[in-house]
Amino acid sequence: MGPLIPQGIIIGQWDFVIALLIGMAFGFILEASGFSSSRNIAGVFYGYNFVVLRVFFFALIVAMLGLLYFDYFGWINMDLVYVLPTYLPSMILGGIIMGFGFLLGGFCPGTSLTAAAIGKIDAFVFIGGVFIGIFIFGEAFPYFEEFYTAGYLGNITIGEVLGMSNQLVTLGVVMVALAAFWGTWLIEKRVRKRIKLFKF
Amino acid sequence: MNRNYIYLTFLILILSAGVFFLPERNNEKFLNPEDLMWDIMNPSRFITTDNIAQMIIEKDPTLELIDVRSVDEYNDFTLQGAINIPLDSLCAEGYQDYLGIEDMNAVFFSNDDIKADQAWVIARRLGFGSIYVLKGGLNCWINTIIIPKMPVETASSEAFEQYNFRKGASMYFTGAEISSDNAGEKSSVKVTRKKKKAVAEGGC
Repeated sequence: MGPLIPQGIIIGQWDFVIALLIGMAFGFILEASGFSSSRNIAGVFYGYNFVVLRVFFFALIVAMLGLLYFDYFGWINMDLVYVLPTYLPSMILGGIIMGFGFLLGGFCPGTSLTAAAIGKIDAFVFIGGVFIGIFIFGEAFPYFEEFYTAGYLGNITIGEVLGMSNQLVTLGVVMVALAAFWGTWLIEKRVRKRIKLFKF
Repeated sequence: MNRNYIYLTFLILILSAGVFFLPERNNEKFLNPEDLMWDIMNPSRFITTDNIAQMIIEKDPTLELIDVRSVDEYNDFTLQGAINIPLDSLCAEGYQDYLGIEDMNAVFFSNDDIKADQAWVIARRLGFGSIYVLKGGLNCWINTIIIPKMPVETASSEAFEQYNFRKGASMYFTGAEISSDNAGEKSSVKVTRKKKKAVAEGGC
């Protein structure tokens, strides 16, 4: 059945409407997980709060498992799912810059918008910085275009590079995620004396 | 520690172990036969030589002409700006990169339109879109664009306009001299009304 737009089940013009709906859901989850607070976000670097790691890692493994099972049920054709192209050096540098921004600003681009939605002034300043950065990046792009497009590896997946099946990669990521959940829980318990566990 | 976290951990573990028992699913990468049949029934894949001539003259950047004849035939004569993908190497490695380029309309042509149509079916089956076939092929190209035939005198004015376009296109492609026979020009018909006879004066 899916993906819906490449299969022609939904026409392409709907993608902005769908993006808006998914964006609202994403913002809701970010806010509900406490990501509008930069204390929660920066806490991961200081070791007192790993909610970011847990939420994103959990979303990741749910999506991985979900796609594999959806593929089995015939709800999604994995061959038609778009895989982002990989540019290794620029992606590594981008990740480092993003991490620094995370640490300095206390937000990632998505959470800054969530925090702005509840009226946090630091989030507005952060968003202003984001747009200034985008402008500088756009204007200076010709100077580092060569680096930006270097190391092109195509639309590859981890499984293809390591020669493993998607199932094995998924199991590996799940194991790492579960180890991270329990490991960070132990770190948190040591760093924070009075810790309250979220009950569900 | 909340017991639900332990349950959740086990649930995720079971689910991730379960993926190993899922059978490999063979997704159909190619167009299924019924869809292909409907596509073949649809004549909208054919493009006339006039349209192609106009696109070449206007230097349409979306036009991608693909000659599916052999290399020798391609070297002898082909259309302006055409690339050569012989029919037998359409499935070969590297050639398919020329198909399915975003915003490009690939037009297959051969001497007639049989080979081109076969190439079209193969490409369609491989899942490519925006592909077309030159109706009548190069033979039709010669007969219509390079050596256009003058329509009969009783033909419609559209036929004469088309003829004029083809003559112009022929000059464009062959560099032929302009022959100034005004065959296609519409001659305005002069209407001469009979003058009313003057009323006889006097008389009985």
